[in-house]
Amino acid sequence: MWVAIVVGAVVVLLLLYLVYTYNRLVRLRNETETGWANIDVQLRRRYDLVPNLVEAVKGYAAHERDTFEEVTQARVQAEQAPGPAAAAEANEHLGGALNRLIAVSEAYPQLRASENFLALQQELADIEDKLAAARRYYNQTVYRYHSIMQSFPPVLIAKPFGFHEREFFGTDERDAPVVSFAQQ
Amino acid sequence: MTLQEQIRANRWRTLWLLFLFAVLVGVLALVLGYVFQPSLLVVVGVIGIVYGIFSWLSAGGIVAAATGAHPADRAQYPRLFHVVETVAIAAGLPQPPPIYVVDDRAPNAFAAGRSPDKAYVCVTTGLLDLMSERELEGVIAHELSHIRNRDVRLMTLVAVLVGVVALLSDFLLRISFFGGGRRSGGSAGAIAFALGLAALVIAPIAAVLIQLAVSRRREYLADASAAEITGDGEGLALALRKLEIDQTSTAHASRAVAHLYIENPQNQATGVSTAFRGMFDTHPPLEARIHALEEAGGFRLAPA
Repeated sequence: MWVAIVVGAVVVLLLLYLVYTYNRLVRLRNETETGWANIDVQLRRRYDLVPNLVEAVKGYAAHERDTFEEVTQARVQAEQAPGPAAAAEANEHLGGALNRLIAVSEAYPQLRASENFLALQQELADIEDKLAAARRYYNQTVYRYHSIMQSFPPVLIAKPFGFHEREFFGTDERDAPVVSFAQQ
Repeated sequence: MTLQEQIRANRWRTLWLLFLFAVLVGVLALVLGYVFQPSLLVVVGVIGIVYGIFSWLSAGGIVAAATGAHPADRAQYPRLFHVVETVAIAAGLPQPPPIYVVDDRAPNAFAAGRSPDKAYVCVTTGLLDLMSERELEGVIAHELSHIRNRDVRLMTLVAVLVGVVALLSDFLLRISFFGGGRRSGGSAGAIAFALGLAALVIAPIAAVLIQLAVSRRREYLADASAAEITGDGEGLALALRKLEIDQTSTAHASRAVAHLYIENPQNQATGVSTAFRGMFDTHPPLEARIHALEEAGGFRLAPA
C-alpha cells in the first residue's frame, strides 16, 4: 500500500517535471522562431531594395556593369540560401557588393544629389541597423534555447520530443557591442 | 534575474500591492466608519472602486494627459522612430510600441500602459535634442525592457492607486473640515476623530511609500536588460551621465507619475536633507546606476 503511494507520487512528480520542461522548451523554440521571422522580414526588405538601387545607379553610371552584375548575383544567391548559416554567409557577400555599389556612386555627383537615390540609401541604412538588431536577438534566443536543451535533465526530454538545435545567423563575434555610425 | 523570473516576480508584486492597498483602504474605511456615519463609508467605497476601475481602463490616456504627451509624427521625428523600431526588434517585442512626445526642454522618458501590447513609450523633446543616436538607443532600450518585463503594468497600477488615495483623502478631509455628521461628542468621539484625521494623513504617505518601494530596484534591472538588448551598456551610461549633468525640471510631472520616468523629473538643486531624500527618492542616484553599468560592461566613463 505504502509502496504504491510512494511510487504513484514519484510518477506524478516526474510527469509534472516532464510537462514543465516540455513547455519551457516549446517557449524557447517559439522565441527562436520569432527571432528568425524578424530577420527574414529585414532580409526580404533588402532583397526588394536591390533592384531599385541598381536601377537608380544605372541611370547615372550605366557602364559600371560589373558592379551591377555582382550585386544582382549576390542577391539571387542570398535569396536561395538554405538555412540561417548559409543565408548569413550569402548576405555578408551581398552586403559587401552593396557597399561597392554605394562606393561607385561616390564618383557621380548628380547621382548623389538625386532624391530617389538618397531615399534608397537611407532605407538601406535603416535595413542594416534593423538586421543587426534582429540578428542579435535571434542569436541570443538560439543561445538560450541550446543552453537549456543541452543541460542534463532536459537533454533527456529534448531529443525524444523532437527539439533540434538551430543554426546561428552569422558568427557570435559580430554580436559584440555595435557602435552606431550615425553619431552626432 | 532572467526575464521570466522578472515577469513572475512582477505578477506577485502586483497581487501583493493590490492586497496591501485593499487592507490600507479597508482600515481607513473602518476608522472613518466609526468616526463618521457608516453610510458615508459605503459612498466613499463605491466612489473609490468606480474611480479606480475607470482609471485603470483608461490608464494610458490619463498618464498621457497628466504628462502632456501626444502621439509623435513619423515625418517630424524620423530618428526617434528608427531608434524605437530597431530597439524593439533587438528586444524581441512582437511589434514596436506607439511613440509619444512631450514638448518639454527637460530631457526625460517614460513608458506607460495597462499591458505590454497596450504600452507606449514617451520621450521629451529635450531628450531628443540632447542625446546622440547611441545614447537614445540606450534610453529607449531601458524603457522597452520596463514594458517587456511587465514593470510598466505594475507602475501604471501604482499611478492609478495613488490617484485613488489622493482623491479619497481630499474628499474626506473636506468633509471632516465641515464636521460632516460626527456621531457624538465626548472624549471617545474626540479620540476617534483624532484617529480618523491621523488615518487621513497616514494613508497618502503610505501610498507614496508603496510607490517608492516598487520602483527603485527595478531601475537597475531595466538598465541591465537595456545593456543586453543593445549590446552597448556604455551608450546608456553616457545618456545617464548627460541626465545627471542636466538640471532642468520636467514641467508636467506630478508625484503620481514621477516613478514612471527614467530619471526623477523633480530635480532639486537644494535638497531638504540628504538622508530624507534617499528615503523618498523614486529613483536610485544616477551615479550608482552608471557605476553598475560600468561594472557589468567592463568600461569606465570619464569623470563628470
